[in-house]
Amino acid sequence: QEVDMQAQADTIRTVFSDPTNFNVKHPLYSPWTLWFDSPATKGRNLPQTPMTSFPQTPVPHTPGGIAAQGWMEDIKKVITFDSVEEFWGLYNNIVPPSQLPQKANYYLFKEGIIPAWEDEANKNGGKWSIQLPRDKNRAVVDKMWLYTMLAAIGETFDPLLTSGEGGEQPTSLITGVIVSTRPQFYRISLWTRTAPTGAAGADDDKLRERIESIGRHFKTNVLGYPEGQRLAGALATEVEFLSHKDSEKKGKQAKKIVV
Amino acid sequence: SSTKNPAIPAPLPSALATARIIEDIGSIQYPEGFKSPKPELNVNAKQGKFRYDRDFLLQFMAVCKEKPDSLPPLDAIGLEPADQSFPIT
Repeated sequence: QEVDMQAQADTIRTVFSDPTNFNVKHPLYSPWTLWFDSPATKGRNLPQTPMTSFPQTPVPHTPGGIAAQGWMEDIKKVITFDSVEEFWGLYNNIVPPSQLPQKANYYLFKEGIIPAWEDEANKNGGKWSIQLPRDKNRAVVDKMWLYTMLAAIGETFDPLLTSGEGGEQPTSLITGVIVSTRPQFYRISLWTRTAPTGAAGADDDKLRERIESIGRHFKTNVLGYPEGQRLAGALATEVEFLSHKDSEKKGKQAKKIVV
Repeated sequence: SSTKNPAIPAPLPSALATARIIEDIGSIQYPEGFKSPKPELNVNAKQGKFRYDRDFLLQFMAVCKEKPDSLPPLDAIGLEPADQSFPIT
């Protein structure tokens, strides 16, 4: 039987039907950039690599940008990707958190957002985070980080946006996710574009509810803890939210939200 | 690490680089045994703006092994696994 070349070319082949010659890929809701830093990337002139394979690290154009500039020289842009297939190609060829050096960070942020609170997209926001003792969690941190990244790139962190109810949907509140390795613990964080201020009023209450629903989803569906389980202990914290503005106050008037 | 050998021709562009973006996620037929993304996530999806649940995404893990062309050599950016046999105490 004769093969119709045109029909064959038009056939949709996903990576599942043809892992080497697929002709369609799954776009992500947003492109994402992975950044990395560790003691090995700091204050060191890294070998020159071709411009095409080593994207320039931008400097944030914000008032805080000057303060962040020294830090921005130490943080390395690893890759920007915009498809499910490319994410997994990256995932399968990079070092998992459990094998990173002890003071390292991965930052996975939407393209164009610098992983610093000075960025326009972050400065009015905050973060959900959990701190986990290193020894007890070395075996599970990789899975927790993977599930955190998948909820980010799949854009399923915000229950308001995934309910399947019709209508015009508001913008995602998520700007990025971070995993940090330290000698005694791991920390996984989820950064949001806005944060409740504690001001009286329906708008702030509504925002607080939305932020809390994201935190509950993070704790139960992504990290896998039962909703009511208390997690704080030696070197461990609850899943807790703090606005970046309150973080600057160093705990004095910090209004943490815990789920 | 990769050493450049001029005798070896440049590789063909990878499928990843040439594949088209899916425009209508509902029209994709997955092979038997593979799940589609949960339909409720993409009820009013605009072209190329899709949400994907974890179970759907995890299906790619064992399939997409190829290193993306745009991934720099990890040692060039100081990203290397720690030596696990000599932990700093």
